[in-house]
Amino acid sequence: MTHRSRGFTRVATSVLLAVIAFIFAFPLFYLISTSLKTKADLFAPVPSLFPPAPTIDPYISVLFTRGFGGLLVNSVVVGLSATVLSICVAFAICYPITRLPASPRLRAFVLSWALSLRFLPPVAVVIPYFAIVRTIGLYNQLPALILVYTIFNLPLAIWMLRGFLDEIPLEIEEAALVDGASRWYAFRTILLPLSRTGILAVVIIVFAFDWAEFLFAFILTATPQAMTFPVGVQGLVTQFEIIWNDMAAGAVIAIVIPLSLMIIARRHVMTGLTFGVIREK
Amino acid sequence: MSGNGVNAAPAHPFAIGARIRTTWMARSRQEQLVYKLLLPVFGTVFVLATIPFILAVIQAVTSDSGGFIGLENFGRALGNPLLYESIKQTGIYAAIALPIEILGGLGIALLVHRTVRSNIIRAAIYIAAMIPIVIPQIAVGVVFRLVYAADYGILNVLLGQTGPHQPLWLSSPPLAMIATASVDIWQWTPFVYLVMFAGLQTVPSESVEAAQVDGATTWTQFRHIELPYLRPLLLLVLFFRIADVIRVFDHVYVLTGGGPGTTTQFLSLYIYRIGFKFSDLGQASALAVLVMVAMTLFYTIVLRFLPADRG
Repeated sequence: MTHRSRGFTRVATSVLLAVIAFIFAFPLFYLISTSLKTKADLFAPVPSLFPPAPTIDPYISVLFTRGFGGLLVNSVVVGLSATVLSICVAFAICYPITRLPASPRLRAFVLSWALSLRFLPPVAVVIPYFAIVRTIGLYNQLPALILVYTIFNLPLAIWMLRGFLDEIPLEIEEAALVDGASRWYAFRTILLPLSRTGILAVVIIVFAFDWAEFLFAFILTATPQAMTFPVGVQGLVTQFEIIWNDMAAGAVIAIVIPLSLMIIARRHVMTGLTFGVIREK
Repeated sequence: MSGNGVNAAPAHPFAIGARIRTTWMARSRQEQLVYKLLLPVFGTVFVLATIPFILAVIQAVTSDSGGFIGLENFGRALGNPLLYESIKQTGIYAAIALPIEILGGLGIALLVHRTVRSNIIRAAIYIAAMIPIVIPQIAVGVVFRLVYAADYGILNVLLGQTGPHQPLWLSSPPLAMIATASVDIWQWTPFVYLVMFAGLQTVPSESVEAAQVDGATTWTQFRHIELPYLRPLLLLVLFFRIADVIRVFDHVYVLTGGGPGTTTQFLSLYIYRIGFKFSDLGQASALAVLVMVAMTLFYTIVLRFLPADRG
């Protein structure tokens, strides 16, 4: 390739990547722009690209006037509880299959069972759960959501945690065991501190998934007492007359939390999404 | 068998100085520990995750009053032409979205891999590509409502089509399909990109350099050196994306609610409609059972290509 044609390729590639980036970024830009518009701006004959007089009123309206602050609290409570439960259960399952001489068949069974849950469409699962939850009196109650989220984000927790635990050499614990430490002591003082980074990554990513979940919450809750934030955002959309700026503000709030969490845990996001196939080194 | 050592394995004379795992006594005790630790928790979770399936079967073969009605609900579920309509629409959606996502993601990954050398720009693209993926699907629906809606959507404004004859992206049949599929493409092409880009980093640079010395063209370099490394990842992405298309619900519910007519009433939306709009939980349970069986079959195929324990 001559020098000039290489320069041309370079420019062409940059332009192409910039165009792609623009197409992907533009809808988000317009969302933020709309979320900063005043109510009066909504009645402009042609909607403007930028908010003529930026205001945070839509955010105040969503969180306080419409009472979505309560839904935000529900989402956090459900997300945190389900995340903590998922991690504890995942540890109880991953410890024996990674630190003890479990048979390869058992290990493969547990892991492939976990992955199989990823292939079940939530809508098929929610129909029987709807019946269970109503029968045992948990309909429109946060514990029902916590339970369902714990189970259905468990595969992610198991696969990620197993990846992290596999990277910690067995010998470190064994040295302590040979010196007379109990398994529990070795777990607490050696394995747990060593896997801290991994646990944090799993917590962040599982919480982000719990946070974003919609269908289970939509069907298993009915009032703001137990509704999660995404259900509230959906409610802003299907009303007869959409209040665009409030709807956009609700979506921005729904986006900001998982987005900032994922940026913190960015090195592990792809590991989580691909169940450990992609590993950051 | 654990007579004298109880749980102080290291005190056992044979264990001193030796790796615990290699002593037979300790090993068998450890194997017992595997089951003692694993069974209670895994058993509980396994039951909780399996109950829905059993319950769906029970719900499907009983009437609301509790009597056994056999396969009547399955008959109604399979006899409903709208089921086949929803499968067809789901297929069209997948046929539009998946090839563009996979080829687009792969193409951009090759482009960035070959031409972007700066690590800072690569890291910036990595973060940027993660953004659509981590946005909750409901919010993605809202984002594109603002793009496609008639009268307020920005797309028609940009196209200069704001009059009475503007294209109705969300409420005219072929356009609604294109609009909902385009959202899928917007959200998941970056995912394919990230997987493929990560895959390209695993191709040994020596083989690439050797090929370039031999005068390989860009295409042969891709076809014979890079593609073999990417093939398992392409399969993985394809499987995950197929599973995701079957569960597509949130963004479509926000954008079109399944309409106009049945244009975007994809499988998950159809089951939801039967169960919760028509309150026909019997038929919906039958559909849930059928979908779970179908996805389990699909999963056994997936496992054949992706061994569950990849070490």
